[in-house]
Amino acid sequence: MPGPAADVSAEPLVARDLRKVYTTRGSPSVEALSGVSLEVRSRERVALLGRNGAGKTTFLKIASTLLRPTSGTIEIFGHDADRNPDRARPLIAVVPQEGKPFFHLTPREQIYTYLRTRGLSREVAQTRTATALDQMGLVEVQDRLAITLSGGQRQRTMVATVIATHAPLLFLDEPTIGMDPFARRAVWAALRELTRLGSTMLLTTHYLDEADALSDRLYIVERGRVLMEGTAEELKRSVGGTLKVTIAGQTQHVDLFRSFGTVMTDGTSLTVIVQPDSLGELMAIAVRERLTTTVGPVTLEEAFMRAVGRSINEDE
Amino acid sequence: MRTSESPAPYRAFRGLSAFFWTEVRVQSHESTAMATSMVVQGVLLVFVFILDRSLLPVAFLGAIIFSMFTMGQRLLNEAAYVRIDHKATDLYLASPLTPEAFFLGMAAGVMLVYLSPVIILFVFAEIVVGYSLPTVLLLVGTGALVWLFSASFGYVISTFFRDNRAIWAYASLIFNGFGVLPPVFYPLSYFPAALQPIALMLPPSAATALLQASIGVTSLSIGAIALAASALAGETLAMFLFTIYWARRKVRED
Repeated sequence: MPGPAADVSAEPLVARDLRKVYTTRGSPSVEALSGVSLEVRSRERVALLGRNGAGKTTFLKIASTLLRPTSGTIEIFGHDADRNPDRARPLIAVVPQEGKPFFHLTPREQIYTYLRTRGLSREVAQTRTATALDQMGLVEVQDRLAITLSGGQRQRTMVATVIATHAPLLFLDEPTIGMDPFARRAVWAALRELTRLGSTMLLTTHYLDEADALSDRLYIVERGRVLMEGTAEELKRSVGGTLKVTIAGQTQHVDLFRSFGTVMTDGTSLTVIVQPDSLGELMAIAVRERLTTTVGPVTLEEAFMRAVGRSINEDE
Repeated sequence: MRTSESPAPYRAFRGLSAFFWTEVRVQSHESTAMATSMVVQGVLLVFVFILDRSLLPVAFLGAIIFSMFTMGQRLLNEAAYVRIDHKATDLYLASPLTPEAFFLGMAAGVMLVYLSPVIILFVFAEIVVGYSLPTVLLLVGTGALVWLFSASFGYVISTFFRDNRAIWAYASLIFNGFGVLPPVFYPLSYFPAALQPIALMLPPSAATALLQASIGVTSLSIGAIALAASALAGETLAMFLFTIYWARRKVRED
């Protein structure tokens, strides 16, 4: 929930033509963002989806006032985050990529002291700490020093620390990295609850299932550019069919299936995107040619492959 | 775009108290480090005790000033560790907590926790030597300035490193170099006369020169006292103000 002093009448985040060029002495310049424009509307959960090195973290660091853009503008609730970061900072909270809690604090101390540094009263900080520990499944380990916790528990502590702020706009950089499936679902549930209460969030991920399950809208980012934007369903529809047929180890049959729809290959298998009404005909050919096939619904992976031309797991 | 928007009302040390207590909690678990923080001073005191006990009044004062000075090294290590290893600095700086409060809260937290062995050392020194009240007051004042200088210096230096392993070597070199080589543990008169003005301009040895003068071990002219006092106060103030500026500047990478 936005704090009482927060001016949250404007859009939570508006970025226009954002560029970032890293210059290091003795090394060639690297353009991490090449004119990114995007918006995050109130109470939305928006995901930036991209491969490692696509520019997601750079965007998040600029949006969270920790990195200056080379050009372009970015506003947080109407405040210029580059020129006037002091107005933006009370309205945001950030889970940094691979951030760790203080090893010599317990999860309870980590969350409570962080809330106190943000100016919350003791009573509110205690209540929110207890709630966040419960939401993140950390009650059993709440009084153990973070140094004794697993990597997933530490990551959950970081997420709990940030969601307990109830900041109007949350930035989460790979929030569920290193977590087991149950913990990831607990984080998703907590983030959904926070948006229901009024928070807005922008997260980066390269987990396609996370982007699908969690985000209201997503942006596919590649080499510092936004390639596609829409809901997960819209992006899936853009692939050209609702079913995918994967044919293992037979990449030479591209021509055989091209007439059925979009054909993609990752070098080891063929994926054919089809509409349900042409599935029977395609399967008949596959049986005749004795090909091993699996059929499933189109996922974000196909949308990503179509937009980027590569799997999300391939590094830059 | 609201380029004409007025800056936010700025409270430079917003969040200081809460972050200070956070750091105290973090540091108070480092009991081994607290104990070993006295190793260099302890070894040097043992040497002085064996070689020339008449220098113990100087050595105790030097050990206390050196302890305050090396708190800057601990802050350097802590600030770099939190930023590089924990990547937690972003969590705090992208929040209402101001960068000044982050720096000063961390510095004061480290100081409070590491002050306890210094107090034990001071009590021991009082039992063995027994300093006068003016000397004790001067020790508190100069010790506070030396701490503020070294904490500010350590925080600024911490921002230049990208690798923790490099820090340990450089930090040890810098802090032991400025804390042990100049006349901190030994009388100023033992230092080459031509280099004494330099010693009077380095905060740790400027502090100990004033303290040595107050117990009558070193004779300082009015000019030398003025030089040492103004160097200690002026450099501390300048370093502190620069660190405030630097902390704000380094919140955001370019």
